[in-house]
Amino acid sequence: MWSAGAVSFVLIACFSCASVSADGLVNEDVKRTVDLSTHLAKITAEIQLANHGSSRAHSFTLALEAELAPHLAFIGASVKGEEEEDESLELKEKTIHGQSGKFFEAQLPSSLAPGAKLRVKVETVFSHVLKPFPTQITQAERQLVVFQGNHYLYSPYPTRSQTTRVRLASKTVESYTKLGNPSKSDEAIEYGPFKDVPPFSQDAMKIHYENNTPFLTISSITRTIEVSHWGNIAVEETIDLRHTGAYLKGPFSRYDYQRQSDSGISSVKSFKTILPASAQDVYYRDEIGNISTSHLQVLDDSVEVEIRPRFPLFGGWKTHYYIGYNLPSYEYLYNLGDQYALKMRLVDHVYDDQVIDQLTVKLILPEGARNIHMDTPYPITRSQDELHYTYLDTFGRPVLVATKNNLVEQHIQDVVVHYNFNKILMLQEPLLVVGAFYILFFTVIIYVRLDFSITKDPAAEVRMKVASITEQVLTLVNKRLGLYRHMDEVVNRYKQSRDTGALNSGRKTLEAEHRTLTSDITALQARLKAEGSDLAEKVGEIQKLDGQLKDLVCRSCQEAERLVAGKVKKDAYIDSDKNLAGKRQELVSRIDSLLDAL
Amino acid sequence: MFVFQVSAWGGYVFIINLIPLHVFVLLLMRRFSKRVYIAYSTFYVIGLILSMQIPFVGFQPIRTSEHMAAAGVFVLVQLYSFLQYLRERLTRQERQTLFSVAVCAAALLLFVCVVYLSCTGWIAPWSGRFYSLWDTGYAKVHIPIIASVSEHQPTTWVSFFFDLHILVCTFPAGLWFCIRNISDERVFVVLYAVSAVYFAGVMVRLMLTLTPVVCVLSAVAFSSVFERYLSDDPPAEDDRRNSGSLYEKAGKVRKQVLCEEGLGSNIKSLVSVLLLLLLLMFTVHCTWVTSNAYSSPSVVLASYNHDGSRNILDDFREAYYWLRLNTGQHTRIMSWWDYGYQIAGMANRTTLVDNNTWNNSHIALVGKAMASNESVAYDIMRLLDVDYVLIVFGGVIGYAGDDINKFLWMVRIAEGEHPRDVRESDFLSPQGEFRVDKAASPALLDCLMYKMSYYRFGEMQLDFRTPPGFDRTRNAEIGNKDVRLKHLEEAFSSEHWLVRIYRVKDPENRPRLERKPRVTSTANKHKHKRKATRRRRGFIKNKLVLKKGRRLNRKQRRTGLN
Repeated sequence: MWSAGAVSFVLIACFSCASVSADGLVNEDVKRTVDLSTHLAKITAEIQLANHGSSRAHSFTLALEAELAPHLAFIGASVKGEEEEDESLELKEKTIHGQSGKFFEAQLPSSLAPGAKLRVKVETVFSHVLKPFPTQITQAERQLVVFQGNHYLYSPYPTRSQTTRVRLASKTVESYTKLGNPSKSDEAIEYGPFKDVPPFSQDAMKIHYENNTPFLTISSITRTIEVSHWGNIAVEETIDLRHTGAYLKGPFSRYDYQRQSDSGISSVKSFKTILPASAQDVYYRDEIGNISTSHLQVLDDSVEVEIRPRFPLFGGWKTHYYIGYNLPSYEYLYNLGDQYALKMRLVDHVYDDQVIDQLTVKLILPEGARNIHMDTPYPITRSQDELHYTYLDTFGRPVLVATKNNLVEQHIQDVVVHYNFNKILMLQEPLLVVGAFYILFFTVIIYVRLDFSITKDPAAEVRMKVASITEQVLTLVNKRLGLYRHMDEVVNRYKQSRDTGALNSGRKTLEAEHRTLTSDITALQARLKAEGSDLAEKVGEIQKLDGQLKDLVCRSCQEAERLVAGKVKKDAYIDSDKNLAGKRQELVSRIDSLLDAL
Repeated sequence: MFVFQVSAWGGYVFIINLIPLHVFVLLLMRRFSKRVYIAYSTFYVIGLILSMQIPFVGFQPIRTSEHMAAAGVFVLVQLYSFLQYLRERLTRQERQTLFSVAVCAAALLLFVCVVYLSCTGWIAPWSGRFYSLWDTGYAKVHIPIIASVSEHQPTTWVSFFFDLHILVCTFPAGLWFCIRNISDERVFVVLYAVSAVYFAGVMVRLMLTLTPVVCVLSAVAFSSVFERYLSDDPPAEDDRRNSGSLYEKAGKVRKQVLCEEGLGSNIKSLVSVLLLLLLLMFTVHCTWVTSNAYSSPSVVLASYNHDGSRNILDDFREAYYWLRLNTGQHTRIMSWWDYGYQIAGMANRTTLVDNNTWNNSHIALVGKAMASNESVAYDIMRLLDVDYVLIVFGGVIGYAGDDINKFLWMVRIAEGEHPRDVRESDFLSPQGEFRVDKAASPALLDCLMYKMSYYRFGEMQLDFRTPPGFDRTRNAEIGNKDVRLKHLEEAFSSEHWLVRIYRVKDPENRPRLERKPRVTSTANKHKHKRKATRRRRGFIKNKLVLKKGRRLNRKQRRTGLN
């Protein structure tokens, strides 16, 4: 039953050869939607493709008109499955001889049997095809644009039946082509159905209508992604923005703009940029500093920045800014041993229905990354890799540079960069700092410890020598004074214990030590004299005073002996002791003052 | 150091006069030594050579009067040293005669030299800025551009206190402490302090030169007071001995120490606490002043709502950035000179005049354009190749430093150069007031600045209590609400109207006639024409009649033969 039907179908197809292409594919039913409600032209076509040929079809061809093809930003085809699951197809550009335009060959996931049907959805986005007309408007005027396209689906296959639905941005339409008596409702125009359209048929469609949606274009964007293995990914986008609608003619009146709601209706006051949910430390600046007119809103699944340029953008006006933020690297950086993979968006959202004329992506990988390999979701031009130097870099960080023109929202896709990185290299920078400090301190140590002077300063030398000698004298004299104090203690103990032996032995040690100390000091004094210092006299004076002091100590010792022996009365002893102590005190203070003067 | 200062600010003249003064005073005080001689000579020579490398300074250091003191002292120092050298070699009597004669002769010669050079024009006379330092009224009369800057006004006591707070009082004390123990360095500090106080009193902005020395001297004052009052234990013999070795007049010091011992610890602690309190207040005040008066950039304005939330008015940068991105690379912008550097820096565009105010005549021309009516101003602007005019207008938000408030200065500066075209009295009301409402003078209502400031402002009603066109800065309803511009058009106004930029239109191809074209009656002409046609074809009035024929030729030939 099925095969018979198929055979008969094929026969019919063969007879009506004129209306069937070489592949034998036919567009059975086409529903085209031309969405002109923004500044982009989004043309989607739902095609029911039938194989009227005799052989199985493995691929089919998509065609674009020669007028629109240069403006193509995005093209995608998908097969509509029964399970409501769209399967996107791989497209390959090709040429067809004798026909103008651009052609893509779409590989079918499973070949199409003769007589079988398939539902295909083709999505195309064109930028800069809506031309403002008039090209210059005043502030009070509304923006009118012209779209020039095709009433039919441009296809290498004959089309049995098709409709075209045009969605507009507003109700106001100046003019539109009236092929086949189209019906116009509020914001839409319906063309067709057209029956049995031959392949490659074109019929100019022209629609002139009001469109006040923001005609914003990013004339260039540089996206810099700097990866740090210490846990941070810094993203910065430098954006040149331009209003590509009708130019503002004549004056700009702030009064009208503030007081009349429809004044400057096509101008852009602000727009929203959606950043990843984990974005932190967002900044929005330009060359002359922070732009204070912005708001940040942290939502559950994203961070929304309401970007307001410093001034409203009218037709032809430009602005320039950069926006940057930090991301935690664990969300985007994966690793297996030394192998790393960075998965990030190649281009991110700037505003809804964005058009990017020129994109430059710079991916800065950590210093020492090797075997770098970039997997892009769509073809992109790679430039020569660069090197980037920041703090503590020695041989530079590899920078991957890639550029692409004419991008739209559909291009917001992930790029994967694989590379190898030795984890030990992470220690390089801290070690560098440690080493630098080590060298610094080491040089200081060497400088302080060693004498680098090439000439000797005799005066300074003598001064230093004298200083060291006097230092020694000071310690010795102090030690000697300590001896007297010790002797006092011995005497006191003797007074209580009446142990003559202890006293004698104490006296002996005092004598011995005193002698050595005094001789030492005398030797030092001689050295001082040799150095020609006048301090020698003072030391001599100290020695003299010390001799008296020594006598006093001896006398107090004798007095104590006499007291113990009972030769002196206690009162007399106390008197004499006080007397002696006073004298000693005086001597000690004089010695002290002399020592201070040293 | 000195070179950096020369390259940075014209205030280096202060230094180049202060250091010679110091040397001179040292000379008078007989404290002059070889050290000073070496230091000053090297400083002067190296400083002179290096400062002349700065393009703006050039040959000024040897050509202008401001620098002559330094040169004079340099010569004097050389002479003095030479005499000292001689003195070592001569007997006493010779020395005395020679000394007095030489000094007198040298001084006279120097003076005559300077006078002669100034008369012959080799040395430029004192500049106006310098005169205004000695005579505060001078600038107002002769150079309005100097007087127009608020920084050049004499300092009020309020601003002294505002900037220095308690230091106003402690600074003289520190000065006294310095004078009491005078030394070579302290002479410098004292001279610096005295001269800086004078200059700070003359000009607000010279407060800048005063502050360092005020800090130093106040610190001296506080430290010596605390040294006396904070030491808890009464000074023992050690201290006395130390002080004896440090100060020459030991006896005097000991007496003071005795006096001090007389002070009770209560008084000591009281004084200390009071001083600490003062210092605390000073810190609080300084923090407040820094945060309120000196931190907020004057480019970004902020206002506070009733609930304390902050409102940032970023109009200046808005307009400057618009200029930067949306005008041609080579556009020339006319604005009052105050905004010159800002436009150059932020908008990256050429200005006619900027904060480097040395070209007074140019500034006067801009002032004249602002003060003239639109068509005269248009001629000036065409002459100067102006593409945009930028003005600052604070009437919407009540910003007092706007161009209308500066306008009288523009008029005065313009009057200085163009006394026949611009007169200050024209812009004042009959009562001699400067006002913008209905009672304003017609010249003001018609001048370019007024028109640009209030263009379309007459329609604007800011709130319901005030009539439309109510200027918040001057609290007046403007006098000319129907402002029409012919040669200019509004190119941009910032969000709060603070900065308004006007585009200078190109002249029209064919000027439109404001009156009806004259119609001449054709009837008479027709009659004439008919008459003419009757006689000849193609009639041209007053045409030289050339007689055709051979006769003339023949005659010519004949004459030629003759």
